[in-house]
Amino acid sequence: MIQFLIDNWEPIWRAFLLTARLALYSFTIAMVIGIVVAAFRVSPIPPLQRFGAVYVSIFRNIPLLVIFVLFYFGFPKLGIVFPEFPSAVIVLATYTGAYLSEAIRSGINAVAVGQAEAARAIGLGFTQLLREIVMPQALRTVVAPIGNLFIANAKNTSIALAIGVEELTSVSRELGQRQAQIVEALLGAGLLYVVSLLFAGAVFGWIETRVAIKR
Amino acid sequence: MTAVLTEELGPRGRRRVQIAKLIALVFLLALAAWIIQRVAVTGNFEPRLWEQFVDFEEGWPQFLLTGLLNTLRAAATAMVFATLIGFMMALGRLALNAPVRWAARTYVELFRTIPVVLFIFFAYFGLQDLGVGWVTALWGVVIGLTAYNSAVLAEIFRAGILSLDRGQSEAAYTIGLTYWQAMGLVILPQAVRRMTPAIVAQLATLTKDVSLGFLIGYEEVVRRGRILGEGSPSNLLQAYLVVGIIYFIVIFMLSRIARRLEVRQRRKYGAGKMAGGAGLEDIEVLGEEADIDETEPAVS
Repeated sequence: MIQFLIDNWEPIWRAFLLTARLALYSFTIAMVIGIVVAAFRVSPIPPLQRFGAVYVSIFRNIPLLVIFVLFYFGFPKLGIVFPEFPSAVIVLATYTGAYLSEAIRSGINAVAVGQAEAARAIGLGFTQLLREIVMPQALRTVVAPIGNLFIANAKNTSIALAIGVEELTSVSRELGQRQAQIVEALLGAGLLYVVSLLFAGAVFGWIETRVAIKR
Repeated sequence: MTAVLTEELGPRGRRRVQIAKLIALVFLLALAAWIIQRVAVTGNFEPRLWEQFVDFEEGWPQFLLTGLLNTLRAAATAMVFATLIGFMMALGRLALNAPVRWAARTYVELFRTIPVVLFIFFAYFGLQDLGVGWVTALWGVVIGLTAYNSAVLAEIFRAGILSLDRGQSEAAYTIGLTYWQAMGLVILPQAVRRMTPAIVAQLATLTKDVSLGFLIGYEEVVRRGRILGEGSPSNLLQAYLVVGIIYFIVIFMLSRIARRLEVRQRRKYGAGKMAGGAGLEDIEVLGEEADIDETEPAVS
């Protein structure tokens, strides 16, 4: 499989970079969506709470593949058309955003009640309370779940091949089938996923120890 | 839990919430109106595009539902294998023998960082290439999902076993039980009860992932939806929407069951939500426990 990677390094590397870009772009947007939706769900405004709940429910109960094909093959009939790569970014971001919002919400719930009470006692408003007291603590406790979601999102980029994005899995499969080396090709792709995602996992582990609150 | 962040509001605060509520409502209604308008303008409400889904004479609903049965069959088969292998791996990770522990750990760590699609491709295209002729699309899905989910389940089992008080196994050995007797009579009956919610949640994730069989031509419900939608009249949008709704119902029920089991357990065993379960919370997020619930149990 190493030999296969060396022989086909150029297309494989291009596909790998595309996968990495897809993972990073979508996760960045997902993070914004996750924070906004989590804020909706803990806000005192019922319509926003319901909206957040419905959003999360939809994306947690429908497979990512269905969302991909619905968005790319179904939505054009509504006049909503995007090219492959932006489509993949949008779909992954909205999907992972739902999971991130749940992770962040559970982090907010994990902040001790006394913290919020103390903040209110010294006169902080809702936004201040969230920004200065709750969020800094909540985000620290959710570094590990967020890291796991980053890895899950990066793995989910492979599903983008359903709409023709030329990411790592589809390119290595194509190369492998053309050269009758499918086993080597898929093992090679697997190796790249393992190495890069173990590295990502190590980075998140490092961040976790760095931001940990010492008690 | 929202009450933690906002206490009783004063008159000014209440007024502000009222205003925000109004703005949010207007905005959400506008969003809904825009979606409905889009669907109407493009003619996607036309009855002839939806008739197929209730046309029992032509057999289209049956066609989709047997597709769902194929989905469930693959999910059930993969779950059985994944549970067996996952259990062996969990025991391996807890073994006294260091090489065994190391091997099981490598399996779990590696298999959790590889995309499910890659596993399915490997099982389907790779194994055929290696001369394993009996791998049909169904088995491609089953093997691929087993590989990934056994690694996740191994971590759930391990956390469940570790969550038991050490005294349980010590006591079992003290009265002279062997390893397997202690496992079968003392540890597992308690651990399995604690793990059930997490296992059911993982079953929901696995069932969602069966949809990836679409990519190798397994005729599960999404593939069937596409066949239906590409026929005449061409109604892919409607077909995928209906498939999404079918999936939503199935997964929603599964996650409801998981939630109910968890609540019941907490009532029965107090706050013992796998106390100290090594990193189980992480798994629940990673395992994408499909669920939604406003009545998040209070943090005790």
